[in-house]
Amino acid sequence: MKELIKHARELLENGEVAAVIGYRQVSAKRTKPVIITDPEETSALVFNEYCLNNLAVYLTKARIKLLCKKNDKVLKLAITAKPCDVHSIVALIQENQIDRDTIHIISFNCHGVAKDFGFDFNGDNLASKCITCETHKPLYYDALFGEVKETPQASDTALARIKEIESMPHNERFEFFKSEFDKCIKCYACRAVCPLCYCQRCITDKTIPCWIETSSHQRGNFAWNVIRAFHLSGRCTGCGECDRACPADIPLSLINRKMSMEAKNLFSFVSGRSLETPTLVGSYNEKDNNELFM
Amino acid sequence: MTQRSIQMDEKIISRVDLLNICQDVIEKGNTLLTPGVADYSVVKDVSNLNLDASALPSKISYKSYVFPRTEPVLYYKRSKNDVQLIDVNIDSKKIVILGAKPCDANSLNIMKHLFNWDYSDEFFNMRAKNFIVIGLMCSHFDEYCFCTSVGSSPVSEKGSDIFLIPLDENNYAMKIITDKGKEFITPYSGYLKSGDENRSKRITENVKQPDVAFDSSEVYKWLGENFESPKWEGVGNLCLSCAQCAFVCPVCHCFDITDEDYSYTEGRRMKNWDGCQFGNFTLHASGHNPRDIQSKRYRQRVNHKFRYYVNKFGEILCTGCGRCSRGCPVSVDIKEIVSNCKNDQKELR
Repeated sequence: MKELIKHARELLENGEVAAVIGYRQVSAKRTKPVIITDPEETSALVFNEYCLNNLAVYLTKARIKLLCKKNDKVLKLAITAKPCDVHSIVALIQENQIDRDTIHIISFNCHGVAKDFGFDFNGDNLASKCITCETHKPLYYDALFGEVKETPQASDTALARIKEIESMPHNERFEFFKSEFDKCIKCYACRAVCPLCYCQRCITDKTIPCWIETSSHQRGNFAWNVIRAFHLSGRCTGCGECDRACPADIPLSLINRKMSMEAKNLFSFVSGRSLETPTLVGSYNEKDNNELFM
Repeated sequence: MTQRSIQMDEKIISRVDLLNICQDVIEKGNTLLTPGVADYSVVKDVSNLNLDASALPSKISYKSYVFPRTEPVLYYKRSKNDVQLIDVNIDSKKIVILGAKPCDANSLNIMKHLFNWDYSDEFFNMRAKNFIVIGLMCSHFDEYCFCTSVGSSPVSEKGSDIFLIPLDENNYAMKIITDKGKEFITPYSGYLKSGDENRSKRITENVKQPDVAFDSSEVYKWLGENFESPKWEGVGNLCLSCAQCAFVCPVCHCFDITDEDYSYTEGRRMKNWDGCQFGNFTLHASGHNPRDIQSKRYRQRVNHKFRYYVNKFGEILCTGCGRCSRGCPVSVDIKEIVSNCKNDQKELR
């Protein structure tokens, strides 16, 4: 932690960055995001198994970009990111939402995080994405801290659930999603926490014409959740923040993970892993699998 | 909505008999609600009832059963020279909620001011009239609870028609608070035994209560003097503009009216939950937005709860349940924010 604080402090003091986006501890098993511009406040920075938020969501916010403008100069923005959050940053760079040169990535060797605040960190309470995680060391970074430790063992229940849903007869699967989407209250927390839901104006906010009914009835909920799944297909990096944020406990990451599995199977593409390859939706190859077209 | 308090001796009811009453409520075709982890749910089998006073409040409050997240307010048919409006039949089924947390129980009493202010909202009033709240003393509290800072407490009977206090594993002290509660319980009086107020008092007096985190009158004063304070920028930078806080809140009541066409000639007018943290909540047709940035929206949320509602209706628009903070994706804690509404704090966040 000392290294992290020292590094963040130096960045701010030397005027290399305008702000550091990081985590601060609020209770034993809970942290929250903090945006620091004063070097004195860097002492609050932490990194541990309760740094659940994917802070990449802040990088595209106009008000955060404004913080970087100082006396006609545009300074960098430092962000503390878990290796999986770096995937989101990569996806944002690939989609031309942020510039690699304006971001200073402070990352960590990571052995996983808890599934939610307040839980003990162990195999039973490991975040779903950490169970199958292959990037304990970030793929891109400007500063790296922390030792590699062993990730607790846990079984991939989410994958088992996906297989189970896949094997359901069509009508049963429809009933499953109907009952899940019925719980949706349309608070759009899933959209708010998603780093890749960066649209200035979301399709659901468009009223003339009204593509997605704002009513939180069955049709409106289906329209919203399905369009979100489509818009994230081949783009979602699997951070699982939508799942955690949902007050109605809808297993949104099952849908996103299933779509990611499809992208991998059909196009050998995994989002947010490489700055060298183009995005899946933004590239076209004649040899692409066309099984999907009817 | 009769909320007149009545004086009645305290009763004792066994858990088994309480379940018998619940079974009868269900068999008579009424709706029985019980708190769950995410939401309150309709009980079909009484063995699934949650009567645990130490349970964490569900993530979502039960307001949707009185003020649904979406509902039609009228249907319309268009013809060449005419528009025909068709009224909606409001479902008037009796709803019994068993095990309401004291912080939830008072929600309808707080919201009814708004729904009966310049216009009497028949949808809200009809459902509230048929709503019976059986409150249960609360022995849960965590870092987000602050009922004691907004004039309530884990043993508050406010808003309950009947109030339960667990005496031991199998028995509850039952206080009948309102006429509505009395009317509900009278057919079941055979199940009730006479109770001892001293016994339940010993329990309620020893319940652990959250410390008072702030003085709401000081917050009220600070808000009035600090509308333009730059301190709002801190939380404005953090908040991600979803409506989780408003939608899980037991007393947030903003709604939007929108028309849904089925065809060229028919459609319905919907009343849908809306949240003040959404960017387009105050977006005018002209394109002007008086709350164009997040700090102004968060300021509105706090002012509405702790100043404007107090001005207009004399009550704080908050029950201290802490749901908004517990569920906030970026852990914005309203108790922390409001506690810091004073001059010696550098920034609100």
